[in-house]
Amino acid sequence: MTAVSAETKAQIRARKKADKIRDRHANDLPRSMQPSAPVKVLTIVVLVLALIYFLFPIYWALIASTKTPHQMTASNGVWFAVGLQDLPAAIARNYNVLIDYTKGMFWRWVLNSIIYSGVSAVIGTLVSVMAGYATAKFKFRGKGVVIGIIMASMLMPAALMTIPQYSIFHMLGISDTMISIIIPCCVSPFGFFLGRVYAQSSVPDELLEAARIDGASEARIFFTIVLRLLAPAMVTIFLFLFVATWNNFLLPLMMLSKTSLQPVTLGLYGMVSLATFNERGALMMGALLGVLPVIILFLCLQRFWQAGLAAGAVKG
Amino acid sequence: MVAKKRLLAGLASLAVMGIALAGCGSSTNNSEGNGETSSNEKITLTYMHRLPDSEGMTTVDEIIKGWNDSHPNIQVKATKFNGKAAEMSKKLQTDVEAGNDPDLAQLGYAEIPEAYTNGLLQDVTQYAKQYEKDFASGPFSLMQVNGKYYGLPQDTGPLVYFYNKTEFDKLGLKVPTTQDELIATAKKAAESGKQILALEPDEAANMLSGLSGAAGGWYKVEDNKWVVNTDTKGSKAVAKVYQELLDAKALNTNPRWDPSFDASLQKGELIGTIGAGWEAPLIMSSIGDSGKGQWQVAQLGDWFDNGGKTGPDGGSGVVVMKNSKHPKEAMEFLDWFNTQVEGLISQGLVVAAKSDEAKTLSTWSEYFGGQDIMKEFITANDNMGDFTYIPGYSAVGTAMNEAAAKAADGSGKVSDIFSAAQTTSIDSLKSKNLSVKE
Amino acid sequence: MTTTTHAVAPARSAKPKRSGAAKRENRTGWAFMAPFAILFAIVFVIPIIWAIYSSFFRQVASGGGAYGGGEITNQFVGLMNFQYVVTSSRFWTGVGHVLLYTVIQVPIMIIGALALAMLLDSFIVKRVTVFRLGYFLPYAIPGVVASIIWVFLYNGQISPIVKGLAAIGIHVDFFNNSILIGSMSNITTWTFTGYNMLIFMAALQAIPHDLYEAARIDGANGFQVAMRIKLPNVRGAALLAMLLSIVGTIQLFNEPQVMATADPGIPKYFTPMMMALNTSQNTLTPGGDGPASAVAIMMALIAGVLAALYALAEKKVNE
Repeated sequence: MTAVSAETKAQIRARKKADKIRDRHANDLPRSMQPSAPVKVLTIVVLVLALIYFLFPIYWALIASTKTPHQMTASNGVWFAVGLQDLPAAIARNYNVLIDYTKGMFWRWVLNSIIYSGVSAVIGTLVSVMAGYATAKFKFRGKGVVIGIIMASMLMPAALMTIPQYSIFHMLGISDTMISIIIPCCVSPFGFFLGRVYAQSSVPDELLEAARIDGASEARIFFTIVLRLLAPAMVTIFLFLFVATWNNFLLPLMMLSKTSLQPVTLGLYGMVSLATFNERGALMMGALLGVLPVIILFLCLQRFWQAGLAAGAVKG
Repeated sequence: MVAKKRLLAGLASLAVMGIALAGCGSSTNNSEGNGETSSNEKITLTYMHRLPDSEGMTTVDEIIKGWNDSHPNIQVKATKFNGKAAEMSKKLQTDVEAGNDPDLAQLGYAEIPEAYTNGLLQDVTQYAKQYEKDFASGPFSLMQVNGKYYGLPQDTGPLVYFYNKTEFDKLGLKVPTTQDELIATAKKAAESGKQILALEPDEAANMLSGLSGAAGGWYKVEDNKWVVNTDTKGSKAVAKVYQELLDAKALNTNPRWDPSFDASLQKGELIGTIGAGWEAPLIMSSIGDSGKGQWQVAQLGDWFDNGGKTGPDGGSGVVVMKNSKHPKEAMEFLDWFNTQVEGLISQGLVVAAKSDEAKTLSTWSEYFGGQDIMKEFITANDNMGDFTYIPGYSAVGTAMNEAAAKAADGSGKVSDIFSAAQTTSIDSLKSKNLSVKE
Repeated sequence: MTTTTHAVAPARSAKPKRSGAAKRENRTGWAFMAPFAILFAIVFVIPIIWAIYSSFFRQVASGGGAYGGGEITNQFVGLMNFQYVVTSSRFWTGVGHVLLYTVIQVPIMIIGALALAMLLDSFIVKRVTVFRLGYFLPYAIPGVVASIIWVFLYNGQISPIVKGLAAIGIHVDFFNNSILIGSMSNITTWTFTGYNMLIFMAALQAIPHDLYEAARIDGANGFQVAMRIKLPNVRGAALLAMLLSIVGTIQLFNEPQVMATADPGIPKYFTPMMMALNTSQNTLTPGGDGPASAVAIMMALIAGVLAALYALAEKKVNE
């Protein structure tokens, strides 16, 4: 991420400027483009309703995370079941249920998830971009076949691959290790596809030619010039892989036996899969706490991924 | 299997190159010792389970610590499987094929014949006999397939009747003893908007088969062939009672594990329900303090042509897995573990072990009006009809639950549940190349 | 993977100079391709070959009889698994569900995302960032967790939505067979609309400003600008988003699987993907990896045909 390119920064600046101009000149639009008052009100109503739609489930989960099984059905769904002064105790209760149920491993699992998602996303992004660049800018034997196979594999259900993957990894002696989760998660046909699309559109051939004439090696060209140009695209691929790995629970379910290696989504899945588990409030708390790192990451990388998406959209 | 293994091996060797690139060394796997064990050699047994291990319970690891401290040469490592029963079966299957299975694994009684057919189990008959005296005979016999034993039973699920005595008294109802009384009582309760029986579509495979099975099993082996008959007098009685109450709107149809079921209990609409013994703590936490002291446990009446017998719902044993190198030690540990009555009860189990220590927890008796409910469960346990399961029962259960959901919403009949069981049982056996007598 | 001279086409070998450059390019291309290709081979190619291979087998008990011999064997069955899939009403029901989903959910989501993007881009609201982040937040919630939350929100005993609607006299059952697909679609839509909206917003922001300027001079109003300038310019992004959503729909699994735990009336073969997994776990019969692989392969073939048709149609429209 050190190679945040001039392009990215320029794009960020442009967007900020656009926002600013928008804010300042919202009322300066030419009269013909000036929305009438009813249109304006309607737009705002629609946007706010949509916001409620997207945020209400999360709000509900937040409220639910403070409730006991009994309160879950017996109390009002949109507000806490206890008075505000008793709230810390209610939270502490469910937190204890969660920690007890996960035998103190909850935060360890969150950490595992961060490792799996982080490492897979970094490796996956790099290999996807390299492969995308290779197919976009070079002619090599079997290229068409390779692209065809990769694109076709998007149609195979990934979940069904876990059984043979387990057999392969066991034969190689690396089942039930972190590597057995990271390797499958860092390969994504979709990542390759994005890498290829971005490389086709944002890496000018002339630039490569010029660098070659200057005598730069292919590796040097890639790591100093191409990666820089593809930085926004890489953020998009990174986020995609990060979220996909975070969400995957079927692979660790089959691949891992050691409790200490499990990711947090699998732990939560374990709770729901016991029919007798009825601590739904504690489950919601686990779900929200477990997702917190992803949200923080999204917020921190916000300006990057917006720029990255912009780069993709123009070419899409 | 061999052909597939060879193919995979070939493909895998192609992949080795890639792994080398990824820079990871290979480590050989765990539990396998080097074949024989002399008595002073240290071995480690692995045990995969899916016990709840929830708040306030003595966890599996805590129980095992007692063993590990006193048996330095036979150390046991437990792992909890974080998924559903069907997923655990799949995981075990894949583990066995890879030669990487744990020594011991928890399996439901209904899954054990299937596990045998799928080649997951190791014959431990020679060790099992000496432990027979420690367990109730019904569950012990469920650990055998075709005359051979594969492990030891852990807990049982005798069906009993949970009811709110205070409410019953208020409405002038008594726990019915005959089928006619049951129907009349349910209809009377329905007049006041109450239900004393539930269909529980998501538990149909376990509960309805158990209720029907109280009057006699569905599956028999004759001439090494299966005779499948799910339309027994028990099934007919169950279908009749449930259908009549369903039509009279005197039956609760909420799925057992859905919050709606909890809500029916909390609101006091559902004041009686048939459930397995292990449901006691769950019913307590579902209802909450409002029902404290009001509920009681009773034996099933002669409701389904069962002549006072009851049937099994759930319960599981622990089996010795195919590739375990230490079946003798595994069984030794297992006998110890499955008789750790106090710890297992804390996990909400009705233990299969014969024991005087099986006491009702004080919180339970407090909740159930001072009743010694564990005694009721043990009575029910000793009064359980035999029910043999077939290999492939998991598919049968799926079909039954689906049919039960249709019956609940009125798009099907209760009797369809049993006809679905019949056809799926036969399909399932045939698809495994097993013999069926028609 | 090696380029040998005799393999090079004669027309090219006539120009030895170019051949050297081509060789080098070939090598460099593969060098960049290799890391992904190797990982891809392990994670996808070998398992897919395994799946195809195993789809010709069934896992049956050795020895027959009532219980078999305590071993499972792979029996070669030729195309029997495929015959089973093709003649299975369960499979086609599942395919039907996926198609219905594609026809209902994907357009709603894409149009919704596009509409939100255009409204946010219309200079009417000022705090764009709040909306943008708010809409996007669900994308961060894992699919299983999102499904669990929504299953609770559909539940008559827990959900403030169901209770609230009931209080004003509207009784909805989100698990009712007739609207089940709608309930599932809603979960997917909730999760992915924000993601698609961001892509559209980015495309909108990339529209050159002189286009707006021209429109302004022509006296176009905001609506006309949206229809005549904005919409055509995000068409490419929309078609791509559509294709990717369709591919995602084929693997539809989390939503129905989680909903099925709350409603046992939802069959284990609701979508082909669910059918494949439950077949592999023996909760459907015939069970085992053979029939499961056949289900997955058949679905992939159907999806491939559909994707090809879509690409073809898109090309036609473009011409």
